[in-house]
Amino acid sequence: MQTKPNPGFFKRNPPIAGEAEAIERAKNGDADAFAKLYALHKRRVYTLCLRMLGNVSEAEDMTQDAFLHLFRKLGSFRGESAFSTWLHRLTVNLVLMHLRKKGLQLVSLEETINPSEDDAPKRDFGSRDTMLAGSVDRVTLERAVASLPPGYRMVFVLHDVEGFEHNEIATMLECSTGNSKSQLHKARLKLRELLRQQQDLPPVEGLKEVAR
Amino acid sequence: MKDLATANLDHMTPAQFEEYLPELFEAGGGKISEDPRFTNFFKANPDCAALVSDLETIAEHARSLFDPTHDPSDSVWSNIASKLKDEPPPHKES
Repeated sequence: MQTKPNPGFFKRNPPIAGEAEAIERAKNGDADAFAKLYALHKRRVYTLCLRMLGNVSEAEDMTQDAFLHLFRKLGSFRGESAFSTWLHRLTVNLVLMHLRKKGLQLVSLEETINPSEDDAPKRDFGSRDTMLAGSVDRVTLERAVASLPPGYRMVFVLHDVEGFEHNEIATMLECSTGNSKSQLHKARLKLRELLRQQQDLPPVEGLKEVAR
Repeated sequence: MKDLATANLDHMTPAQFEEYLPELFEAGGGKISEDPRFTNFFKANPDCAALVSDLETIAEHARSLFDPTHDPSDSVWSNIASKLKDEPPPHKES
């Protein structure tokens, strides 16, 4: 039985022209249709990997793995969520598995990927003379996000950028929803700190703008 | 994290306010900086008002990162295409 799609899933990921047809053809082994799916989604999958891993070579390897995994799993896509949401969840799970294999234990977010004292946001409100409105742009924020400790960066990218809910993040990271909310808050506090000293932010490897 | 329902909004300390912030942001439904429940508190605590304004700025700009602007190198597709030649066709689930 075909499950009725939930319209909420499509808010940030509206269907792309020609995508549904390409999915059906790719499910039947059409190589050109799969190439089209790659062309449609490579940027977002790669950018997601790059933001989570902070390393071009690893991000390219994970992009490759994600699409190979997609090819194998495509038959199980039933349209219950937007295709890109489904693909991103698949990608995030692969990246997390990769990080776990590398030794970054994500089982307990609090104990293992919490940053050191130095990396944690400072417990003060800071001066109000340097408010951020008007001084933050996309490139600066990208650099600040890349400078976040891995645990904070992960939750920030998944929630504030990718739009996953805390319960989904909690499942992916194997932590509580309260923990996910608290990590997100700390991530935003840390970003505020970084953005207030934006002249010290390092450039981001691999985040070169493409012609639009 | 604390539940806002039990809070005394006009007599919070800045530290107490910060404990409610994750839930406040999560609750959504408009900007905290424009929430009339906090008008008096923000007047009395401008540092908290500045903090909220900054965190709202960050959350707003984060959404602009959703649109990707970065491409993987061409070798990524070459590798995928070459590996797909050895793959059986996708398994179709009924």
